Amino acid sequence: MQTAATPPAAGYADREPTKPPDWHQLVVWDVFFNALTTGLFLVAAVGELALPEVFGPVAVWAYPAAFVLLLVDLSLLVLDLGDPLRFHHMLRVFKLSSPMSLGTWCLTAYSLPLTLLVAIDIGTVVGLVPGDSDAVWWVRRVLLIAGLPVAFGSAAYKGVLFSTSAQPGWRDSRWLGGYHTSSAVVFGCAELLVLSVLTGHDRAAALLRPALGLLLVLGLIPLGLLLGELRPELTRRYTRDDLFRGVALSVGGGVLIPLLALAAVGTNPFAVVLTAVLVLTGGWVIRHLIVMLPHQAPLVR
Amino acid sequence: MTSREAQVVSTPQSADPPRPRGRLAEVVARLTYPFRRGAAPAKQPATGFYTDTTVCIGCKACEVACKQWNQLPADGFNWSGNSYDNTGELSASSLRHVKFIEQFADVLPPPPSPNGRMSLDVLPAEPPPANRWLMMSDVCKHCAAAPCQQACPTGAILYNEFANVYIQRDICNGCAYCVAACPFGVITRSHFDGHTHKCTLCYDRQKDGLVPACAKACPTASIQFGPVEELRERARQRVEELHSRAVPGAYLYGDSPTETYTELNSFYLLVDRPATYGLPEAPFNPWIHMTGDYVRAVLSGLGAMGGLLAVFLVMGQ
Repeated sequence: MQTAATPPAAGYADREPTKPPDWHQLVVWDVFFNALTTGLFLVAAVGELALPEVFGPVAVWAYPAAFVLLLVDLSLLVLDLGDPLRFHHMLRVFKLSSPMSLGTWCLTAYSLPLTLLVAIDIGTVVGLVPGDSDAVWWVRRVLLIAGLPVAFGSAAYKGVLFSTSAQPGWRDSRWLGGYHTSSAVVFGCAELLVLSVLTGHDRAAALLRPALGLLLVLGLIPLGLLLGELRPELTRRYTRDDLFRGVALSVGGGVLIPLLALAAVGTNPFAVVLTAVLVLTGGWVIRHLIVMLPHQAPLVR
Repeated sequence: MTSREAQVVSTPQSADPPRPRGRLAEVVARLTYPFRRGAAPAKQPATGFYTDTTVCIGCKACEVACKQWNQLPADGFNWSGNSYDNTGELSASSLRHVKFIEQFADVLPPPPSPNGRMSLDVLPAEPPPANRWLMMSDVCKHCAAAPCQQACPTGAILYNEFANVYIQRDICNGCAYCVAACPFGVITRSHFDGHTHKCTLCYDRQKDGLVPACAKACPTASIQFGPVEELRERARQRVEELHSRAVPGAYLYGDSPTETYTELNSFYLLVDRPATYGLPEAPFNPWIHMTGDYVRAVLSGLGAMGGLLAVFLVMGQ
């Protein structure tokens, strides 16, 4: 009798000890819409508070849009639950140790001033609210100021929710929260730019174009740090072609081409919309790659 | 002498609360029910499991007892292709899972001799490696600071009076954040009811003074239940005993805290690397990074907002 090499210690060693949660495309879109609604509100509110005469008229369009985006986001959040009829159970406790609990409360708190702002703006349009009165002006200001920190919290918690988990990739992504929050502001700037161009508010558009350019450049910092952290898991689970496509779409299509377009094409509405679509697509691709990471089986080399 | 089980059967059981009458009352009850709180029970000494894998025989009595007591469905007669493991992993319907690890050298046929005759030299030149079969009954680790409990946004996961990690089935809404947080891959969301499930450490049995079903059924005392401190002491003595009996690789997994994780109230005696048993080599509590992650998120966001404001103020004047 002859024996081969030492026995393998195999057993369960080739298996990942963790189990990925059933978070799939619905969650990718939830993370995406979270950035869309919070970013739009943040940029519109900062603009209106800083330069009300420039951003006030376009912000009137931004809040209803942010409200609709929030409704979509909340719907996705509820639909993703295993038992959607128990969504309100999230509100029975407030746990600082749980980013999901903090995020739920931030989203709830963010929805209140946003809803009131939309109600005031709609009321003004239909003549139920005197839009030019001092009282309404002050109420709007208070709502904007109240909405800012909770909208910011609603954006900031999302990445931390993933990074404080035991899942491969997510657990290593110290900059996921940083990327998502800065990306939300980029999204908001792109959305408000589109609204400004489509509604003919040229002064706002003229300020938002350089702002978007600056934010795209600044956003490369957390994105680069995040991709650096995720590189081992990304290369372990995605093929070289998949990664090339992902980086081409997110960095090339989502940052570099929009930067060139902003510098070259000016305020052409079609070009601005296309630029914004590219920015949002790049952000979506990154979120897709990251959310789906634990579901990707490691490649057999 | 009557067994404790027989005594419990004869004790009066608590009745379910009356159901609300009418559609509106049902809706109101459904909305308000999760916000009601009962009185917290008095704290008891922490209990847990000590699983000595060296005496596990892979009989799966623990799996069966768990399914029977908790009225869990069978997982089907599946051929996993991995030894006698047919349930594959811990799941919403398998709260216990017996793992089988076959560590056998591949036996090759003797090489043909030049004259075509079979060699009588059947003894290997070197002694064969120690072939063995490892078995381990896996279950929730009932971590002293459980990431699932920290993650749960509904408060469904809590520590009961026995310091066991317990999921309140009527509160869980199936967000699955606990699934993402568990470094041991224990918790699973059920496709049947949408809620997450894991070992309850037979909370209902403990309240009646009974031993959990798996420990009761284990024929070799591989699964031992009791106050955790007593179990830890017993386990340490067993490790010393095994060392003295020429099993130098025996050690305890999870009996004491590490730099990155707390102690486990369900801990193991192992004789191979943790990864061989499907356990993380160095479990890591993801909450260690939470504050830093928040700081990075806030700073990045504030940086972006600051840049935005600067452009508005500088170029807008």
